[in-house]
Amino acid sequence: MSATAKAGQIGRSLPRLEGRAKVTGRAEYIHNLRLPGMVHGKIFRSAVAHGRIRRVDTAAAKALSGVFAVVTSDDIRKVISNPYYGPAFHDQPILAIDKVRHVGEPVAVVLAEDPHVAEEAMRLIIAEYDELPAVTDEVEAMTSTVIVHDALKPAGIFPDLKHLEGRKGTNVALDFHLRRGDVKQAFAEATHVFEHTFRTQPVMHTPLEPMVSAAEPGDGTLTIHTASQSPSFVRMEVARLLGWPENRVRVKTAFLGGGFGAKLYIKLEALVAALALLARRPVKISLAMDEQFFTITKHPSTFRIKSAVDKDGRVTARECEVWWNGGAYADVGPRVTQKSGFTAAGPYDIDNVAIDSYALYTNRPPAGALRGFGIPQLVWAYESHTDMIARALGIDPVEFRRRNILRDGRPQATGTVMKDAAIDKVLDRLVQRLGWSRPFDRGQGSVKRGRGLAVGFKASIAPTTSVAILNLYADGSCGLYCSTVDMGQGSDTAMAQIAAEVLDIPAETVRVVHPDTDVTPYDMATLGSRSTYHMGHAVKRAAEDARVKIDALKADLGVPPGSNVPLAELFRRKYGMQAGNIVGVGSFVPSYASPDHDTGLTPNATPFWMVGGTGAEVEVDTETGHVRVARLINVADLGTPINPRIVETQLSGGAIMQLGFTMQERMEFADGQLLNPNLADYKIPGMRDLPARIESEAVDAVERGGPFGAKGVGETATFGVSPAIANAIDAAVGVRLTELPLTPEAVYRALRKAGR
Amino acid sequence: MTPFDLVEPPSLGEALKLLEPDDSAVRPLAGGTALMLLMKSGFFRPKRLVSLRAAGERLARIRIEPNGELRIGAMVRLAALEWAPEVRRDFPVIGHTLRTLANVRVRNVATLGGHLAHADPHSDLPPVLIALGACLVLAGPRGERAVPVEGFATGHYETVCKGDELIVEATIPPLGRRRAAYAKCTTRSADDWPALGIAVAWDDDGAIRSPRIVLGAATERPTRLKAAEALIAGRTLDGALLTRAGEAAAEEADVVADARGSVSYKKQLVKVYVARALRAAGAGPAAP
Repeated sequence: MSATAKAGQIGRSLPRLEGRAKVTGRAEYIHNLRLPGMVHGKIFRSAVAHGRIRRVDTAAAKALSGVFAVVTSDDIRKVISNPYYGPAFHDQPILAIDKVRHVGEPVAVVLAEDPHVAEEAMRLIIAEYDELPAVTDEVEAMTSTVIVHDALKPAGIFPDLKHLEGRKGTNVALDFHLRRGDVKQAFAEATHVFEHTFRTQPVMHTPLEPMVSAAEPGDGTLTIHTASQSPSFVRMEVARLLGWPENRVRVKTAFLGGGFGAKLYIKLEALVAALALLARRPVKISLAMDEQFFTITKHPSTFRIKSAVDKDGRVTARECEVWWNGGAYADVGPRVTQKSGFTAAGPYDIDNVAIDSYALYTNRPPAGALRGFGIPQLVWAYESHTDMIARALGIDPVEFRRRNILRDGRPQATGTVMKDAAIDKVLDRLVQRLGWSRPFDRGQGSVKRGRGLAVGFKASIAPTTSVAILNLYADGSCGLYCSTVDMGQGSDTAMAQIAAEVLDIPAETVRVVHPDTDVTPYDMATLGSRSTYHMGHAVKRAAEDARVKIDALKADLGVPPGSNVPLAELFRRKYGMQAGNIVGVGSFVPSYASPDHDTGLTPNATPFWMVGGTGAEVEVDTETGHVRVARLINVADLGTPINPRIVETQLSGGAIMQLGFTMQERMEFADGQLLNPNLADYKIPGMRDLPARIESEAVDAVERGGPFGAKGVGETATFGVSPAIANAIDAAVGVRLTELPLTPEAVYRALRKAGR
Repeated sequence: MTPFDLVEPPSLGEALKLLEPDDSAVRPLAGGTALMLLMKSGFFRPKRLVSLRAAGERLARIRIEPNGELRIGAMVRLAALEWAPEVRRDFPVIGHTLRTLANVRVRNVATLGGHLAHADPHSDLPPVLIALGACLVLAGPRGERAVPVEGFATGHYETVCKGDELIVEATIPPLGRRRAAYAKCTTRSADDWPALGIAVAWDDDGAIRSPRIVLGAATERPTRLKAAEALIAGRTLDGALLTRAGEAAAEEADVVADARGSVSYKKQLVKVYVARALRAAGAGPAAP
């Protein structure tokens, strides 16, 4: 525990504050929201991947009894003249205009009081397209003559995207380059050179509560109820689209039935806002599970990685080329491309590094952030590559990592000097838990056993801002107002613990007020494992501010500091009755230096580093290619855990999610169509798919920059899962897979190819 | 989903009268696990659903006849079948098969009759019932008839059951000295539809008599692998025979490719799983 924590609220495995409400069915979800006079919207979607819209015939849909309205982009433009949105690029039309760019793109919406009528009418809409050739592969998109967008439209929020404005004839939405040392020279002098290419597949976040948003028009105002991870951004973006001041747009969230990056920035909110203004009544859209697959996905990627190694097994240079398949609209893909580019060369001490990272537009559903912001795709490649080099050189993979590992005090690829990143400690603990030096049962008969490990790291997304307000009421009870969204990760509990620690009260007495932009202050978003660090700081400062004000009140009343007169009594003495408030305010924005445009170098790439490693023991059925993960070990550096029990479930949850992306999940496309947009054919892990043993551990560490020594944890356990399992498969049966997922058939084919 | 009529006739006779064989928008409803998915996706838009929930005691019961024959009503829930003590005792292969059929939520709702009538080739029970020599009793306006489960499905979602007929019950002859096992293989998740399922059964008198080897899920409809059956008939199991039986089965099986595997991969799985199913049946205790 951090030396600064004294009140006993930090490091306490307090059960989640919302646990009882959730298991008794009382927790609030937007999914259950019913507004008076509400109509339901059902989206009509494109059946082609790329095409010019010739005609959208809504007559039959409009004629159906019970239909309130059928809306196309022509209608949208009556209330929003330039209806393009997005966090990085203003490239996504609220409803398709002139062209469709991916299968499932929204083209029209039916509104009806009865959602079944809306759905029935939706099926009566007829759209005709002049189909255009489509580009779907990220590498082909680099040179394809098929261009998804005529011109690039960066949003302007991010200054480092401004140079892309108006660029034409390209599918490259953003290119990030990093140059450090003399890569060419190092390769020329290398004893060994290794080059491999790795690929990842399209997958989806699969929150079990699909996206849902409702908009309620008022008197010159608009209230949006939405299952969003970023209410502050939604307000800004909707206000921008409408040309309104932010104070006329109110955005409220509730608990989320999972987010994982799917409900970030802006999804359905611009659409329901426009529809509510057109309809002049509340409009709600609840996506069905299949529609989520057309809304946001995880970037498929191709990663070519090349390393120079000297005679002592030291990596002297690394070249990384990464192509990110961003789909038809950029969403936050350019940020994934840049931020993940910082660490594409892996957690190793390499003097000469070249990184080229490209965000590509293609005619696939848009890709965005998914629990790791691109990092799992990178770790998959560089940690597979690491084992392949070690194997080729006949060096134990642990020993090879130790020779090259990046330690605190050494500069990372961007030039930023590492601090409070326990990469070596994470590796050590994995090695200990796996019993790496002890003999290992290699299996018998047709079942072979193997083990592997992998370590990855991530720079936090920076710079981002969080603001918190802590309100002490007249009876002394406490309300905490922050816009961090509790989507299952336990942020309400963690924030309450931080506030309680400062105020020296039990955390369960803190009431956490959920995001409502009319009430709770600004927060950039609940993403990228940033809340504990950023909002944690803001909450801590708000509570400290409140303490200062309590002390001032005591001084004002002549009460000696350190006396135990209850706050309610102080208020009574001050105001003569139960009255008043003390409002503490805290805000936090970390320091950050943008990377140089040409070299990608920066002395300050991130406020903190996340470090996660995975160890896996697998059993491979050599007759069928089935891989059973017998043991999965997750070790992470997350600083000092605020709530150890919740941290453990975050680690195991992240690892299980990545296990699905590693072993089984894949969106299957054929002829431009998505074949499996349903949970019967898109298989996420069930209980019987889980490893028999899952172990999670936070290494003993402190993040000196974090609140009470803590930092983020939501994504950390995803990093190492895929390569650890691929490395274990190689150890078991001597075959190497370079493309996810690691299906039984893929393993079996590799075995046959290798003659095993 | 659009509005439709849901009727719940109080007898089998009433239910039969409410069917309209010439109108595909009128369908019987059992557990609804398959039908609801088709309705939600818009593939099936019913005018009338005839629920069989109240269609009589005969559809709802599980009974062992004095001669040891098992009779299972068409409306018996798969979970009820899974847990029925008499089934566990006398037909352990059925309980074993049900434990990994879909998931517990599906088994709590889906019925035996619906499972068979839907004729999804990926279903787990048809190969097992064929291996055990089970029959179905169908009722229609012309009375009742018995048809073997083997031959009941004629293709993807197609059966010999006519539009004006309903499955009443399944009958399974007593196991006697029959050994039986079901081995199933999924390739995308444990609770996925199987890539294939292999049911085997034979009379054991020291040698293999009247064997049946039935392949499900990988073929258009559950299929007996007769070359492999012929190969093992009259023999005793050993490693070499298992290998040869697997190879013969893979050779003759007319498997189809889908998202769960290519043809060549599924043929490999057939080879492996035929051997595994035979080994499992051979290793288990013969029925009393």
